Amino acid sequence: MTGEPIVSIRNVTKKVGRATIIDNLSFDVPQGEIFGFLGPNGAGKTTTIRMMVGLMSITKGEIKIKGKNISSEFEQAIRHVGAIVENPEMYKFLSGYHNLIHYARMIPGITKERIHEVVSLVRLENRIHDKVKKYSLGMRQRLGVAQALLHRPSLLILDEPTNGLDPAGIRELRDYLRFLTRTEGITVIVSSHLLSEMELMCDRVAVLNKGKLIDVKLIQDFIGSDHAAQNYLIEALPAEHALAAIRDIDGVKDAKPVPEGIEVVTERDRIPDILARLVRMNIQIYGVRAQRQSLEDRFLEMTGGEQIG
Amino acid sequence: MVNLILNENMKLYRRWRTWIMVAVMIAAVLIGSIVEWYYDNKDAQNGIAWQEQLKQEKQHNEKMVSDPEMDEESRQWFQEQITLANYRLEHNIRPESGTMWDGINGSAELVILITLFTVIVAGDSLAGEFTTGTIKLLLIRPASRLKILVSKYISMLMFGLLLLIILFIVSVLVNGLIYRFADMDLPLVTVDSAGEIVQRNMVANLWQTYLLNGVATIIFVTMAFMISSAFRSSAMAIGFSIFALFAGSIIVELFQAYKWSKYVLFANIDLSQYLAGRPYQEGMTLSFSITVLVVYFIVFNLVSWLVFTRRDVAS
Ligand SMILES: Nc1ncnc2c1ncn2[C@@H]1O[C@H](COP(=O)(O)OP(=O)(O)O)[C@@H](O)[C@H]1O
Ligand SMILES: [Mg+2]
Repeated sequence: MTGEPIVSIRNVTKKVGRATIIDNLSFDVPQGEIFGFLGPNGAGKTTTIRMMVGLMSITKGEIKIKGKNISSEFEQAIRHVGAIVENPEMYKFLSGYHNLIHYARMIPGITKERIHEVVSLVRLENRIHDKVKKYSLGMRQRLGVAQALLHRPSLLILDEPTNGLDPAGIRELRDYLRFLTRTEGITVIVSSHLLSEMELMCDRVAVLNKGKLIDVKLIQDFIGSDHAAQNYLIEALPAEHALAAIRDIDGVKDAKPVPEGIEVVTERDRIPDILARLVRMNIQIYGVRAQRQSLEDRFLEMTGGEQIG
Repeated sequence: MVNLILNENMKLYRRWRTWIMVAVMIAAVLIGSIVEWYYDNKDAQNGIAWQEQLKQEKQHNEKMVSDPEMDEESRQWFQEQITLANYRLEHNIRPESGTMWDGINGSAELVILITLFTVIVAGDSLAGEFTTGTIKLLLIRPASRLKILVSKYISMLMFGLLLLIILFIVSVLVNGLIYRFADMDLPLVTVDSAGEIVQRNMVANLWQTYLLNGVATIIFVTMAFMISSAFRSSAMAIGFSIFALFAGSIIVELFQAYKWSKYVLFANIDLSQYLAGRPYQEGMTLSFSITVLVVYFIVFNLVSWLVFTRRDVAS
């Protein structure tokens, strides 16, 4: 995390009628990262995004973008933001080009050259003068990205950008977002209900469920325990000897007694060595079991049982 | 702000719907004028000059005035017609019928079409962006919601004005061409409430009629705009406003006996009631109606503004 966070969300609550849709949300989005909002449908991702771009009022708390309060300094705050909220709905009766002209007119300093630049960036040169109603879903997505990038925003917000994309499209989008963060220093926020997509795209993920923040984690920390280290259950007697012995072995990250035996956190490679040592010490081994914890399990654990993707 | 209006105009004029409305407008003027001309032509084939015809009418009117059974109001009307006829014959000013002005003045009735079309456009302008979802990308720009609202409103009024100018130009051109621009400088002759002859410029009178009707257009458009902003439904905004446009005056007739009904919008919306000297209720004045209209106008705009700038966009 370098410097000021680009977005700071502080104690944000959103109530509609009596229902609390967002409940006391607080976190920062660091500059220059691809940041994910992850959560099942109805978690409050879109609502959070709507509040970030001023489409919805904030019941309690505040959201700042580049230090500007989105509620009280809307125009200064939104200037730095390009966004697609849910679907990229454009004027169907206008051409893609006239849609871009429309948004360009709303922000000072966007030249014709810049419009052509973003058009070629999203590779719509050949179809840009066609009416949007003739566009495919993918082309509309690309036009949506074009309008969001038009004014060189520092923050790009894409709500469920992978909806309707095939795996190749998702990979392409990821590479493209990476390209943007590297070359233009843009910060990107994407939301998704699919953990596997987040894993591919994001540097850091905020997990939301039922309007609450569950956790914010770097993606490698999030999935680290699955690839690098894992839980194994070793049944061995005498238990105290076994536990002390295992704790002394290289490569064992953690070991603790559980009712069924000893839970050991280590890498798969280390298992034969650990067992060999225990045998040499005359400790009797009755069973070894890998306690595989999948990404989905981790997620279930974090959100408390809510099904995902 | 100028850019926002340019945007609204782009969204308006790059749609077929808008140009169909313009075409229907022009067609209505053409058909109306040609029908008018056809019947005037039939009359003229009797070969009687306007002076002769006017004299015949005058004789008939004089008979009516001397009829003892005649009520006072009608007697007064016939008396006015006689005064007019005398003035025309004396100053050699022919009546409008059988000239280009007949068709042009008749076309002024088509302002109701302008109201209808502008109401449709206004009802859809805001609500349509909500139903299609384009409102989201529109509002996440550094332009306040108030500015966006005002730009839409101005663009609607400009559309109404455009239709009015088209109405004027097309009706003058068509009727002018039919009658080869004869009697172009014909003045308008009327009798005022004191029984005096008033002679006025025909074009000035035409624009006065346009603008009086235009007041109703503005009020209906503002109403459509308010409903559009409050309910975010084009169908509701357009439907309700058109219903009000056609049924408003009828409904208000039903309540004429009640004192309070003079505060109802539709009792005041037709300002030409004062030109004709027949207000909706005894004691109503032009300034009373204007005050009532201004109050409605402000309330409608206030509601549009409050609702549009405060409410969440959840579409
Ligand atoms: N305008 C609204 N009024 C009432 N409830 C809403 C409104 N918008 C969203 N919700 C509710 O808020 C919750 C969060 O929705 P949303 O932010 O769309 O979730 P996500 O984008 O994560 O799928 C859902 O339970 C939804 O039903
Ligand atoms: Mg959503």
